[in-house]
This record gives sequence, C-alpha cells and structure tokens, in this order.
Amino acid sequence: MRVVTLRRLWQGADVQVSGRDVLYVVLLLLPFALIVLSLMLGLYSISVENVGRALLSSIAPAMAESVPQTELTLVLRIRLPRVLSAALIGAALASTGVAFQGIFKNPLVDSNLLGVTSGAGFGAALALLLGGTAALVQGFAFGFGLLAVSLAYVGSRLYSTAPMIVLTLMGILIGSFFGSMTSLIKYVADPLNTLPAITFWLLGGLTGVTWSSVPSLAVITLVGGAFLWLVRWRLNILSLGDAEAVTLGMNPNRLKLIIIVCATLMTAAAVAVGGVIGWIGLVIPHAGRILVGPDHKRLIPVSLALGASFLLAIDNLSRALLPTEVPLGVLTGLVGVPLLILLLRRNQTGW
Amino acid sequence: MKWNYRLVMLVLLGLLILNGNVGLIAAQDALTIQADEDLQPAVAALYKAFFNAEPGFVAADGDLVATTDRASLPDDFQGVPPHFLPDAFFIAQSERASAFIDFAVSPDGQQALIDAGFLPASVTITDQAGNSVVIPQPVRRVITPYSIATYLVYGVGAADRLVAGGYLGARDPIGAARMEAIDPRFPQLSGYVMNQREINIEEIANLQPDVIFTSARSAWLDTVAELDIPIVLFQGESPELLKQSMQIAGQVFGPNAAARAAAWSAYYDRIFSQVMDVTDDLEADERPRLLMVGTEALRVISGDMYQTDIIAAAGGQSVSADLTGSWNDVNLEQVVLWNPDVIVIVPYGSVTPATLVDSPEWQVVAAVQNGRVYKMPSWVAPWDTPVPDSVLGIIWLAQTLFPDRVSLDCAAEAMTFYKTFYDYDLPSDEIAAVCGS
Repeated sequence: MRVVTLRRLWQGADVQVSGRDVLYVVLLLLPFALIVLSLMLGLYSISVENVGRALLSSIAPAMAESVPQTELTLVLRIRLPRVLSAALIGAALASTGVAFQGIFKNPLVDSNLLGVTSGAGFGAALALLLGGTAALVQGFAFGFGLLAVSLAYVGSRLYSTAPMIVLTLMGILIGSFFGSMTSLIKYVADPLNTLPAITFWLLGGLTGVTWSSVPSLAVITLVGGAFLWLVRWRLNILSLGDAEAVTLGMNPNRLKLIIIVCATLMTAAAVAVGGVIGWIGLVIPHAGRILVGPDHKRLIPVSLALGASFLLAIDNLSRALLPTEVPLGVLTGLVGVPLLILLLRRNQTGW
Repeated sequence: MKWNYRLVMLVLLGLLILNGNVGLIAAQDALTIQADEDLQPAVAALYKAFFNAEPGFVAADGDLVATTDRASLPDDFQGVPPHFLPDAFFIAQSERASAFIDFAVSPDGQQALIDAGFLPASVTITDQAGNSVVIPQPVRRVITPYSIATYLVYGVGAADRLVAGGYLGARDPIGAARMEAIDPRFPQLSGYVMNQREINIEEIANLQPDVIFTSARSAWLDTVAELDIPIVLFQGESPELLKQSMQIAGQVFGPNAAARAAAWSAYYDRIFSQVMDVTDDLEADERPRLLMVGTEALRVISGDMYQTDIIAAAGGQSVSADLTGSWNDVNLEQVVLWNPDVIVIVPYGSVTPATLVDSPEWQVVAAVQNGRVYKMPSWVAPWDTPVPDSVLGIIWLAQTLFPDRVSLDCAAEAMTFYKTFYDYDLPSDEIAAVCGS
C-alpha cells in the first residue's frame, strides 16, 4: 500500500501535491520525535515520567525532586548530549553529502570526497599517539580535516583547466595520503595502549560524548545547515552545469567554493566528535531523493532530517542493545549497504 | 732468511706464553668438589669441558657442592640454586666456583652434558595451542614477538639467550629506564618491529633463533613456519594456564630454567593460597563488586581475561565477567547499571583515578562516590596481565580490597620477587612509593 503510494508520489508529482506535502512535513518532524523517544531508551531503565521530569527540571527545578540523582545524571549528562550529538552529526553528514553530490554532479560521492574525513582521522590518530585528551583529539581531527581539504584546493589551483575534475583528483590523492599516514601511525602505535584507541576512533562512536563537545558541534552544524537550507535552490542550478549557471547570472565557482567550505566545516566538526561514521553521506541523500525527488529545495531539508533520524536510530542500537558498544561505523555499514542496494534497485527517478 | 727465524721465534714465544697461562688458570682455579656419588660422572663431564682436566672430588670443605638434597642449602638461602641436571644443583662454597657454575647452567654447559649423555639432545613439549614441538637442545637464541612471553624468559632466568623481543610496559620512558636497569641489553633487544601482527621474516631469518615464543593469535605464523624454526605458542589467560606457560618456558631452556619455573609456580601457589585463606570464606555480598578499566575509562575487561581470575582470587568479583572476548567498549549507562563498589585502572594507559573522580558524569557511580578508584601499580611488566609479575598484582589487589585482613606487603614481596626471578635488586624506596605503602 505504502509502496504504491510512494511510487505515485514521485511519478505523478503534479497530481499528488498534497500527499507529498504531508510526507515532507512528517519527515521534517521525524527527528524531533526520535530525539524524545531516544531519551527514553537505554540500558538503565528509567520511567517515561522520570525522563520527562528530568528534562523539565532545567526549566522548573521543582520537577526533579522525586527523581533519583542517578537518573537525573543519566538523562541530562549522558543521554541528552549523546542524542543531540547523534542527531547533529547525522544531519551534517547527510546534508553535506547532498551538497557534494549536487556540486560534483555525481551521485556516488559524499563530503569525504576532498579528504576531510581522512585528514580528520589522521589528526585524531596523531593526537591519540601523543596521548592527548578528548579535547585535543577533537581539535586535531577538526584541524587536520580542514587542512586536508585546503591542500586539495590549493593543489587544484596549480592547474588552470577543468578545476572540478582536478579538485576531485587532488581530493582523492590527499585523502589516500592521509589514509596512509594514519596507517603509519597505527603501525608505530603501542599495540597495548594507543592502537585500540585509534582503531575504535576510526570506526566511529559516541560513547565518550559529554556536554563539552556539543556546543561547537551544534553551532557549526546549525549555522552550516541553515546556510545549505538557504542556498538549496541554487544547488539545483549548479547541478545543471556551469554554463547554465552562468547564463542564469550566477558565479558558479564562487558559490561552489563557499558550499565546499561550509560542508567541510560541518563534516570536520561531525567527524571530530563522532569519529569516522561512514555511509550516511552516501545513503541518506539517495533515500531522500526516493522520498521527495531530486529537487534540492526539499532534498536539503529532508536529508537534514533523515540523516539525524538515521544516526539516532543507529546510535540507539549501538548503546541500548548490548552491554558492549558496537562501533557506529560498523552498524551504519551493516544497515546502510543493504539499504542503498535496495534503494538503487527501486529508484527510477533522475538525480 | 733472518725474517723466517724471527717468525719462528715469535711463534714459539707465543706458544710458551699461552701454554703457561693455561697452566696458570688450571692451577689457580682447580676446584675441589663435594658431590654425591651418582652426580660425580655428570660433574666430571662439566669439569672436563670447562677446565680440560679431571676434577678432584673431596668428602668435605670443597669449593663447590653438587647435590640433590635441598637440606644442604644454607638456612638463609633465597631464590633458586643453579641446577645443572633436573633436581641436581650446585652450592658455591667459595667465590672461585662462580665461573664454573655460570658455565654449568649456560648453553655450553648444557651442551657438555648432552655430549656426555646426561641430558637429552632434544625435548618434545606440548605448547598451549596443543601442538607438539620438538626443540633441539641447548637453546642458545630465542625471540619473543609476544611481549608476555618475554617476561616468561626473564622469569626462568634465560634472558641471556634472548636475541629480540617485545616488551610490554617498557614503551614509556619510566618503564624503559627500569627495564634497562634490569637488563642493560634491553635497548638492543627491543629494537625490532616485532609483535603479534607484524614481523619481518628476513630479519627473523637473520637473527637465527633456535626457537620462537609467541601467541597463538600471531598473524604471521604460516609465513614464519616456512623457516623451519620451532615455534612455541602461549596462551596464559588463567592462573593454571600461566603456570603451564612458565613450565613450558622452563622445559625449553633446560634444567636450571625448569627449576626456576617450578620455584615460581610454588611461590605463586603460596601467595595464592595465602590470599585465598583470607578471601575464600567471604560471602558473595562481602566481595567488593569491582570494575577493571583499561586504556580508556569505558574500556573494560571481559570474563575470559586473566584479570577476572586475579580479581576473584583477591576476593573481589568482576562486574563485567559476563562479557566475552578481549577488551570491551561499554557506555556509562552500563557502568551505572553495574554500579561497582571499586574501580581499578590497569597500570598502562593514560587513564588515572582523577579522570573519573573529576568527571561530573561519573559522580553517580558508587566507587567514585566512595573514593575507591585506584590505579594498579607495576614495575615494568603490567601486573594485571598473565606475566610472572602478576603475582604482585594479586597481592596489591588483595591489600587494596582488604587492608585489614591481608598481611602480605606489596613492596616487600616485590623486592623478593624481583631478586629471585629477575636477579635484580629493586630500589626499596621507589617500590614502596609504587606500591603506595
């Protein structure tokens, strides 16, 4: 039934406008519902009432009186920052994936195309090798993520022709260079101490997230997400090609650069907190296209919402299913790959 | 012609000096030996190999006593007497005997006894992966890519036969300095890329080891097997398996090593039973619920690990005993669910009690509220891992959990332990600080 409706949704956009609008609104509200639901989930069972009281206690402290301190701490200091981080990281990775796919006119790329994740992975590994604190690891990851993309950009400017192709190539080169550097660090790392930490970080996880890592992530993701939201219709024009964009009075190269900078900042911030979480930037944009079509006016908001929802759901599995944490990178791959295969088979629409 | 004459004179002179010297050594160092009747042929074989002369056996007041009777040891004797045959050892009565004793327990001494038929030319052992391994004797060169096995070699007193190895706990400057004080060859021995994952097979071939000690989980076993070097696999993740590890290491290096392995087992059993005497009759609710965390605050031990056993021996119960495999990453919610009474952080890694105590998130855990968060001490080899030194980890843990009941003293036992099994005198003030006493 749902399948039939959905098929109609994208085939007969003009006829089914109202149904499509409902779906759009539902998708946008989904992450907020999931955030509330996620706060109820966890290995430690806390009643719905106490979760509610704990949340309201920040506004009305009297609400917390009957809630045990342990439950207060768990809801406010453990679950809340983690759930918010998962939503923000998911939104950042998915929306930057859409942006990159639009700019590079290639449905098979995500925001790691220019090496930001590889650079961040190297930065984090280096910080862990130096015995750094969580803050140092995040700082290094963020910094080296930006550095990798800057290197790719500067490298591409050395050539005058076909900047996008050269930029892509430079991104891949810089990405593999930092990948090799990370392997080198793993090679020299102490197998007892540093290596497990590096491996776990590279697989991604939100185990160690506390409030201290949320503000910078939130600011960058919200500002960057808002920017992508605002320029979303221009992405439609960019994905037509540079010649068309110029005809329509745009400066495509400048806009692309701004979007790349914005997406890189968002990805670096996400990776710095959550480690290397694969697949979201690739799978969620496709899922979004199937649900609301390739128009960026809706695709950007939907990918923000779907990315947040997807990572929230995955992280709930990771933290509440088993006593031990399953790395997020493992789960996103396990769930994301079959999903992508399924969607590619069913998807008949254009990109 | 004159040149020839000079040359001949020179050679003759040289021979004269050499001959005189040999005679001098033999005359000065000829030892008088008191030996049980049935040990005399073996002692004679050793003596002949070392001095190229027949020994003079005496009934009393020899420089050296060869015996199987432990009662003839001086009352204040500590450690393991040098064994040249299974159950037969030397007691030095004068300083002059030491070179001969060193020779007797060295590979050359073993070779002399093998040539004379007193020791077998090869031993067959069953390693901890269940493989039967034939090892020609004596073993002169051993490599230990599995860094836990390195300490087994030290424990049985065969460190002089190490040519390369991994060293657990000696990566940081403090550990490295301590290890170098124990064994001056440490910088050279540890200077290879060699662990369970990585090994350079050409380098191994170059090192020409007689035997390789590693773990069954080494990634390169098939490649290295091509070199036709005996490989002994270890897996010591329980007290019984650790004792077996030591026993195997002892068998590989001959009678003296075997005697030291047996002595270590006896020491381990004695400490174990002394601790168990205190902790055995504890009811389940008297046993502190203990969480042992690793190199990250949220990385905890599993029930399959050796650490779980030493926690149980020391009278605690590991809250994460239901987990399997190796280290497990958990989240704080799970820790709160366990709500441990005590948290112990392993000796290695950057996590300290302050990491947890200063964190607002950890305040809900009972151990943090009660201020019972500890970092396990260690000297070089981490005391929580299945190395000979872990006996000290049991002592420290028992002392920490039951300070009123356990009479063992970590620092004093550590002094004895390192003297006996590493032949090293620990700096007493430093070990006292390490043990926290």
